[in-house]
Amino acid sequence: MVTAQRQRGYSLMEIVVAMTIFLIFLATLFALTADMRNYEKRLPINFQKHPQLSAVVTRLRRDVMDGLGSNPYRNNDPKNEFTAGEKVLILETLTASGGAQTIVWDFREPGTVRRRAYNGPMASDWWARGLPAGEFTIGAVKTGPRATWATHIQMKDKEGRLAIDQILQPRAVE
Amino acid sequence: MRGQRGYSLVEILVAFVILTVVITLSLTAFLERNKRLQQANEIILAYQALANESEYWRRKDFSALQPTDKFESELALLAPLKPYTTNVLVQQTPSGTKNVTLLIKWKDGLREAKLTLVRVNTSSEGGLW
Repeated sequence: MVTAQRQRGYSLMEIVVAMTIFLIFLATLFALTADMRNYEKRLPINFQKHPQLSAVVTRLRRDVMDGLGSNPYRNNDPKNEFTAGEKVLILETLTASGGAQTIVWDFREPGTVRRRAYNGPMASDWWARGLPAGEFTIGAVKTGPRATWATHIQMKDKEGRLAIDQILQPRAVE
Repeated sequence: MRGQRGYSLVEILVAFVILTVVITLSLTAFLERNKRLQQANEIILAYQALANESEYWRRKDFSALQPTDKFESELALLAPLKPYTTNVLVQQTPSGTKNVTLLIKWKDGLREAKLTLVRVNTSSEGGLW
């Protein structure tokens, strides 16, 4: 008798109670996270998951700020391999030693940003890979009547939401 | 026979309490982490907008630095933070400089990001810029 009692299954009541408790737990979890998930959908990109984006903008800002003269922008690189446009930015910048170098920022390939520095021959070649799906564009903007043209970098995610919108202004030149 | 009895009420209750504590702590940590990630993403958007706006206010004539609630730069970037408000506060200091504070508030004013520039009068004829 004891053996039979021990091996019996669960009663309907036990199953119902267990399932009710489990469903209450699931409903609580869902309610607590639903708002959060909806709000996350409004944000363009999780920048914490893609620190390369910040690296690109930070490095680009440094190049623009180090731009040489009142107009550091160039139409072509020294080797005539690139032409400036909305996917390519070419800058003449100062080096740490006081010399000049040409920087080519290349945003043409999706998911990748490439920065080439020329000091005669190519001095460095830096890649940011694994960027989130989206499209970069380079534009120009004036932030004041006497201001140098600023670089305007924008990136839209794959759903067309603006994720990066930065005005990068060269340093003042006396 | 004694060893084959079921669980007592006290044992069940203790098990439930432990389970509840574990679930509550895990859930709280999870929600807090998500909240902070969201806030960090919002701040990144807000400071991009503030940095852009500061480029305009750095180049205004010193005499034209007046308080306003309108930003001059494009604010499409802040769409996820809607509804938000913007403000520019200008404070004259005794030393003759002006502190220009750019302010964005969202979530009914509960969240805010601000950036302050110190402007010096570098002459009316274009000055440094």
